[in-house]
Amino acid sequence: MSEWVNGGLPDPAYMAQRIAACEQEIQKGIIGQREIIRQVMLAMLTGGNVLLEGMPGLGKTRLVSTISKVFDLSFKRIQFTPDLMPSDVTGTNIIIKNEQGSAFSFERGPIFANLILADEINRATPKTQSALLEAMQEHTVTVGNDSHALAEPFFVLATQNPIENEGTYPLPEAQLDRFMFKILVHFPSREELKGIVALTEGSQEPVITKQMDSDGLMAARALVNQIPIADAVMDYLLNIVMDTHAGNPYIKEGASPRAAQALIRASRAKAFLEGRFNVSFQDVKETAFPVLRHRIILSFDAVSEGISEDDVIEKILEENAIL
Amino acid sequence: MEQSDFVKGIQSCRRRLNMAGFFRYLVSALGIGAGVGIVFQAASFVIPVYYAGLYAVLALFLALLTALAAAYAKRISMEQAALVMDSFGFDERIVTAYGNLDKEGALIALQRADAIRQLQMHQDKIRIVLLPSWKKIGSLMGLIVVLLVLALLPSEMKEHARELHSVKEEAKEKTEEIEELVEALEQLGQEELTPEQQAVLQEMIESLQASQSEYQQASSNEMLQAAAEKLNYRYENMGSQLAGLAQSLQNGATVSPVTAESMQALSNKMQEMSGAQLAKGNSGQSGSNSGNGQNGQNGQSGSNENNSGNGQSGQNGNGGQNGQGGQNGQNGQSGNHGNGGSGQNGESGNGRGTGTSDAPHDYVSIPNDIADSGNLTGNAVDHDASGYFHAQNGLSWEGTHMSYEAVIGSYEQNAYEGIAAGKYPSGMEEIIKEYFSNFN
Repeated sequence: MSEWVNGGLPDPAYMAQRIAACEQEIQKGIIGQREIIRQVMLAMLTGGNVLLEGMPGLGKTRLVSTISKVFDLSFKRIQFTPDLMPSDVTGTNIIIKNEQGSAFSFERGPIFANLILADEINRATPKTQSALLEAMQEHTVTVGNDSHALAEPFFVLATQNPIENEGTYPLPEAQLDRFMFKILVHFPSREELKGIVALTEGSQEPVITKQMDSDGLMAARALVNQIPIADAVMDYLLNIVMDTHAGNPYIKEGASPRAAQALIRASRAKAFLEGRFNVSFQDVKETAFPVLRHRIILSFDAVSEGISEDDVIEKILEENAIL
Repeated sequence: MEQSDFVKGIQSCRRRLNMAGFFRYLVSALGIGAGVGIVFQAASFVIPVYYAGLYAVLALFLALLTALAAAYAKRISMEQAALVMDSFGFDERIVTAYGNLDKEGALIALQRADAIRQLQMHQDKIRIVLLPSWKKIGSLMGLIVVLLVLALLPSEMKEHARELHSVKEEAKEKTEEIEELVEALEQLGQEELTPEQQAVLQEMIESLQASQSEYQQASSNEMLQAAAEKLNYRYENMGSQLAGLAQSLQNGATVSPVTAESMQALSNKMQEMSGAQLAKGNSGQSGSNSGNGQNGQNGQSGSNENNSGNGQSGQNGNGGQNGQGGQNGQNGQSGNHGNGGSGQNGESGNGRGTGTSDAPHDYVSIPNDIADSGNLTGNAVDHDASGYFHAQNGLSWEGTHMSYEAVIGSYEQNAYEGIAAGKYPSGMEEIIKEYFSNFN
């Protein structure tokens, strides 16, 4: 930690420089998807979890593994299936026999890592999905009577397939709310695809080097949390969240207070990534989509008219004009 | 740039924004004011609006006040000014720094330094335009030009409005004058008067109130003229009546000298006003009326030339002394009753009828002296109860014996009193006058 902290506060300029270097390093392993990388970086800087929604084969696993290398974090991948049990995720107490006798011992599950890739999370049963709730929110795991703290930083990156609905269990709203961002992973452009093919099918794998460790990441989080927000910007942010409730005909249920918290943190992180120490209206506007899109439930009118969550958010942003 | 310079920069921007806001409100408000003024001016071409110009000026003045009030009510705060500055590409650095001026902290200080540095580097980006767009200013100028053209353009309706206004002004003035007289009459010591005298005063008050009503309803020069003629006649009548009352009170000594003097003063005032009335506004008409002068034949009040006579006795003299009231000159035609020489100039009648006539009559009574005649009996103000007898050259006549002309004169007098009291429709008044003038 001492490398990153100087007199109680991390050097913001150096920290911003290192974060930018991390982002560039990740882009070496992932062709295109710059927006996705930026949003995942924002989530990491604020300690949030990310739900990636996209077709298989778009590089989600590669992204997470690259991040783990860049930040020198432990990484575990859990493939969610219908027969996956909660203990398969969290770990369980097992009997250990030795010379002194036999005793229960907690065997840690794959959740005990810094970076968790919960692949196809909607294929597991709600019971197993729920096993992630405590870990995602409290960063602890309780098995039996014992709670076990997870290592910091703890970061869950879950994926789900948007079109294969058979044999899936849609995530309940309570669990969705615990994801800071829902990021839509789109198919790459032709140029990006060309780069991906060249990268993965070529003879030489790109060398990803560590740019920052977990201490550095935690120090960056501490710095981001102190970035000031002007009253006008805060009012704008809160108005956006409130407008997801205010009789909008396309919204059945609006965003939770957790959405406002996530929006504040994400806006701060975005300002920091852009080298500023204050939040702008534009920061709020740009982070509103990944923060809010999975927190609002569309009404029948919206569904029948083919209006998406992003359309509704776009309209709310238009109605809350800034100077 | 120090922190104080940073704040000064925001203050300067704020002042400029407030000025710009004021100019924006001013142009909008003046546009609305000019529009309202144009409506008034345009209306003055269709309906009589005397104060159209004043209303237009008032609308513009109100617009100015509104702009000032709006600019004050919506004045820009320092935070808003900082936000406006941020909109020139400062990404809310300035408003955040301003909001945290009184806070401490390493990151706060860093942010403030960043904001000040950015402002110093890119201050030239901030451009606050003071004046509204030329399109808006041009539109306002166009409206004001239209307003001025409409205001200066003459029209018949504007002339009519001016005439109406002068009528109303004069009517108002006369109404106030009458009001004062009514109050003066009401203040006379009525408790000292007999019921009959009080009734006479009450009639006077009602008569004046009728004139007041006529003035209030006057909406043209003609109506004003008619009301003035009636009022003049009433003044004359009342003047002589009051003089008679005052004289009788003095003679009877049943009232305080103050009341009698007040009454006499009021009588004099009415006589003066009667003269002034004609001299003032009706000089034109009095000339023309001097020829037909119908009002004059009731000139019994004329006998009060010296304010000492019993004017009412004149009516009984019908034809004799009646000539003197001819301020309108009607005595020309009633010349058989008197010479009325001074009446025809349309001034206050001071002529005194001598009562000579060459016209053949069944009977003509010519008292030599009506004011001091010991033969005159009855109440001076009670016309109906008056009676007389006259002896001359050994002949005497009873009071009930009246001539044909006397009967006509009596009717005529009643008719004119009715006109004066406003009992008849205005259209009928001329007909009545013409009717009686045919007998003379």
